[in-house]
Amino acid sequence: MDNNIKNNKNNKDIKNSKSANNKAKFAEKILQNRFYPLVFLTIIVFISVSMVMAVNNITEPVIIAQRDAEIISQAKVIFPDMDDYVPRDEYYEIFSGGEVIGYAFIATGQGYGGEITILVGLNTDFTIKGITIIENTETPGLGTKITESSFTGQFAGLSSGDVSLTKEGGEIDAITGATISSKAVTDAVQKEMEVTIPVIKGDLE
Amino acid sequence: MTEQPQISNAKKFTKEVLKGFVIANPVFVLVLGLCPALAVTISIDNALGMSAGVIFVLLGSNIIISLIRKITPQLVRIPIFIVVIATFVTILSLVFEAYFPPLYESLGIYLSLIVVNCIILGRAEAFASKNTVMLSIADAIGIGLGFTAAMLIVSLIREILGTGKLTVFGYTLFSIPVLSEYPLTFFIMPPGAFLVLGLLLALFRWLGVLKNE
Repeated sequence: MDNNIKNNKNNKDIKNSKSANNKAKFAEKILQNRFYPLVFLTIIVFISVSMVMAVNNITEPVIIAQRDAEIISQAKVIFPDMDDYVPRDEYYEIFSGGEVIGYAFIATGQGYGGEITILVGLNTDFTIKGITIIENTETPGLGTKITESSFTGQFAGLSSGDVSLTKEGGEIDAITGATISSKAVTDAVQKEMEVTIPVIKGDLE
Repeated sequence: MTEQPQISNAKKFTKEVLKGFVIANPVFVLVLGLCPALAVTISIDNALGMSAGVIFVLLGSNIIISLIRKITPQLVRIPIFIVVIATFVTILSLVFEAYFPPLYESLGIYLSLIVVNCIILGRAEAFASKNTVMLSIADAIGIGLGFTAAMLIVSLIREILGTGKLTVFGYTLFSIPVLSEYPLTFFIMPPGAFLVLGLLLALFRWLGVLKNE
């Protein structure tokens, strides 16, 4: 009892002074433990990752829908008649008046200044209907000429075997001063066609 | 009895807010966070988007770091600050990508670079880890608004001189007759950013010196 009264002079909380003291000691013990920083950091990282995942779950469908919308608006440039589309795993089916008029898919290649993203449109006979460059970070004035119709127009009507530069036996004239960018686009389109056309054919059967 | 501390708390709160805004303006006085102040001040829209992002992250990180300040082990406090800040930045960039795609595109890498923005880590280390949640919120608001003001001033000068007109969220507020036809594109380019920011820093230093005398 005497002890308690002495304590009370220091602690205003009369009833819980002893248990509070114990609690404080216990907390102190945890904080002093040498594994505590490790455990604490682990907990923080765990909470952080779960929060980011929760937000990602909400935003992911929105982001995908937006990307789809952008791709579709680009696809309309290749297929002016399109009025509907169905997204498949690796490509889009393009519809007009309820009938499939073609397919579209994304090809990416490593250009001179970074990644080049290309949308490729195919006719139902698997020849190219047209291509558009969605994204590129090529040198302005040289490599960026890959977006011009004088370059992309060359792809129309080709089948995958003909998609390579003229000096490699193909049908595409490289842009003067931008051989790397031109080769990146042709290689990416050819590679992606060789992968995706069998997939489309497989789905048709 | 109960009103006394409330008044002083409110006073403290406003004092902290004003401190960040004027006396300790992060860009002009503390000279922190220059990377976004130079890189994204090409237009008012970008400056506003960036500032909103920084305020959100600063507020979030200050609150969390202040809440856990008593149980944060000294040894690993910096990694913990960085994880907390990175969480908010990742959430922010996901939200921007989903709901404000044009802004997300134009801010580009500078959005993710908020993680290493020294304003935010600086406030976590120097203020939030030592003060109550209330004061940390005040600090975040003050510093955040101070940053916004600095970004707005820089981007206003650069956009008006560099394009000859002022466009906010797609609406052209005004355009200067001759300047809009022959804009001083130099100000939109990186060297223009250095020039404008340097002159503004000099101006604020000069004003500070005048005030002290």
